Amino acid sequence: MVELQNVSVTYSSGVDALNNVSLKINDGDFAFVVGSSGAGKSTMIKLLLKEIDATSGVVTVNGYNLNKLKKRKIPEFRRTLGFVFQDFRLIPSMTVYENIAFVLRVIDAPLKYIRKRVPYVISLVGLHAKTNSYPDELSGGEKQRVAIARALVNDPQLIIADEPTGNIDPELSYEIVELLKGINDQGTTILMVTHEHDLVRHFGGRIINITGGEIVFDEVISGTSDDILPEEELAQTMAQVSGISTDTSRIAIPAPPVTSTEDALIDEVIAAITGADQDGGV
Amino acid sequence: MKLSGFKYLANQGIENIWKNKMMAFATFCVLLISLLLVGGSALFYVNMNSMILGLGNQNEVAVYLDPSTTQQRVDEINLELQKMDNIDTVEYISKEEAYKRMQNQISQGKAIFDYIDGYEFMPDGFSVTVIDNDTIEDTTAKIAQISEVQSASSSLQVAEFLRELRRVVSLIAVAVIVALAAVSMIMISNTTKASVFARREEIQIMKYVGATNAFIRTPFFVEGMVTGFFAGAGAFFITWAVYRSVFRILMEQGTLMRAFGVGSIIPFNKIQLWVALAYLVIGALVGALGSVVSTRRHIDV
Ligand SMILES: Nc1ncnc2c1ncn2[C@@H]1O[C@H](COP(=O)(O)OP(=O)(O)OP(=O)(O)O)[C@@H](O)[C@H]1O
Ligand SMILES: [Mg+2]
Repeated sequence: MVELQNVSVTYSSGVDALNNVSLKINDGDFAFVVGSSGAGKSTMIKLLLKEIDATSGVVTVNGYNLNKLKKRKIPEFRRTLGFVFQDFRLIPSMTVYENIAFVLRVIDAPLKYIRKRVPYVISLVGLHAKTNSYPDELSGGEKQRVAIARALVNDPQLIIADEPTGNIDPELSYEIVELLKGINDQGTTILMVTHEHDLVRHFGGRIINITGGEIVFDEVISGTSDDILPEEELAQTMAQVSGISTDTSRIAIPAPPVTSTEDALIDEVIAAITGADQDGGV
Repeated sequence: MKLSGFKYLANQGIENIWKNKMMAFATFCVLLISLLLVGGSALFYVNMNSMILGLGNQNEVAVYLDPSTTQQRVDEINLELQKMDNIDTVEYISKEEAYKRMQNQISQGKAIFDYIDGYEFMPDGFSVTVIDNDTIEDTTAKIAQISEVQSASSSLQVAEFLRELRRVVSLIAVAVIVALAAVSMIMISNTTKASVFARREEIQIMKYVGATNAFIRTPFFVEGMVTGFFAGAGAFFITWAVYRSVFRILMEQGTLMRAFGVGSIIPFNKIQLWVALAYLVIGALVGALGSVVSTRRHIDV
């Protein structure tokens, strides 16, 4: 569970990255965080990992009050969550197996368990053949799958992903999110920051839009891969989700693999909205 | 931490040396050079000291008694001297003995003795050696207090000079060793910092997956220790080779060099155990600490 109560973050440079943000993500939720560049998304992630502290407000993650968390307790806290970053953050000197096993060694897991659990999660992400490869020998998508395997190997309550698809092919992005969805189905809470509105549209779910350090939108929408919303409602939501982003080129990213006529329709809708910069029907 | 956990971390430390060959080699070289600089200076100092002490075998007090002293009294004084503090050996030198020695010493002027009849004019005496040359004056003064003692004298100026020399040499040696140690610390710290810096991301990732500082540092500790140990071993073998050849060359110079106290150079096999121990222990310790301390800046994330 993640809870922010009136949280503000001001960097020492004077930048107000987050401004009185309140947010609650329940156990088992899957939430997308969207918003333009510099909006404060990564700042929120850093807050949740206790990489930085809130200037004011209360941050609670997995039952730990991060404001009061002692330095000494940080490792214990971090073991309750997994993370996936845009830049993978794999240890280059360790093989795929060792990168993942390391998380279990940290918690002093029995060797027997490590030997069973690590190959299992590697097979979950479909990288069995690459078990003994080094990160340098993997493609971006493969690296990210290793990172995901690492994030879930110790069965965390929460996985935090900051643009996990940022460095990989758009087509592969769907696979990655599919993977995270699957993990979410097993009960793990997932918070994923992304720039790819196509993904958000495709999968739907809870969408949180941060703009200028504030939450301007936080609602559940259906994805196009699920049952479709009434057209009008969808158009409205989409306007709110992506209206803030002026980056229309992103929306022109190739259509997702699971194409449908509805999908094409929504594309049109969004193009119309963003082009006209106002909400309304088709 | 369980034993298996520690074994894993120790293994990681060893593996890291191999994985980071270049940095490990740089650390090894810097440690080796540092150990040689400091160790070499220390050995040079120890030998200088030994040479000066060797020259200072002037720790002898010549004691002459009143010629009228009875033989019984001479024996008593002999015992008295032996019981005094700071006395190493007491050798009785009879009139005859003293006469003979004098003849030997002034062999060139042998003719003089032809004119001197016998040794009756020579006083009985003792040749006393002291344990601590630095307090030879006090001891001499005490001996002089015995009423039958006509004169007690040590070669004070030589002792004084040598003592001063040793003091200066010690001071210089300490200064040089401290300076070299400081320079070495800076070199070592920079090298280990660079080595750790290259792996700062790795450290950060470890922190993100919830590794404790101890968990992250243990491999660095082992790695530094092993590298330092090998540097110590390397320094020992280099020192051994150089020391032995210098020793041999100096010994071959023979008597001339001996006059300068070179005869007092300590043979390597007498000190090799200590040299080896010092190199290995200091190498391992400095290597381990340098590597661990350098992680500090990167570990707080
Ligand atoms: N370490 C820092 N020191 C000072 N200012 C920072 C720091 N990190 C981020 N900022 C500033 O805080 C604001 C929010 O940055 P943040 O990284 O959270 O944006 P973001 O939403 O993740 O953007 P992007 O989508 O480009 O990743 C920006 O104005 C940024 O310049
Ligand atoms: Mg960001």
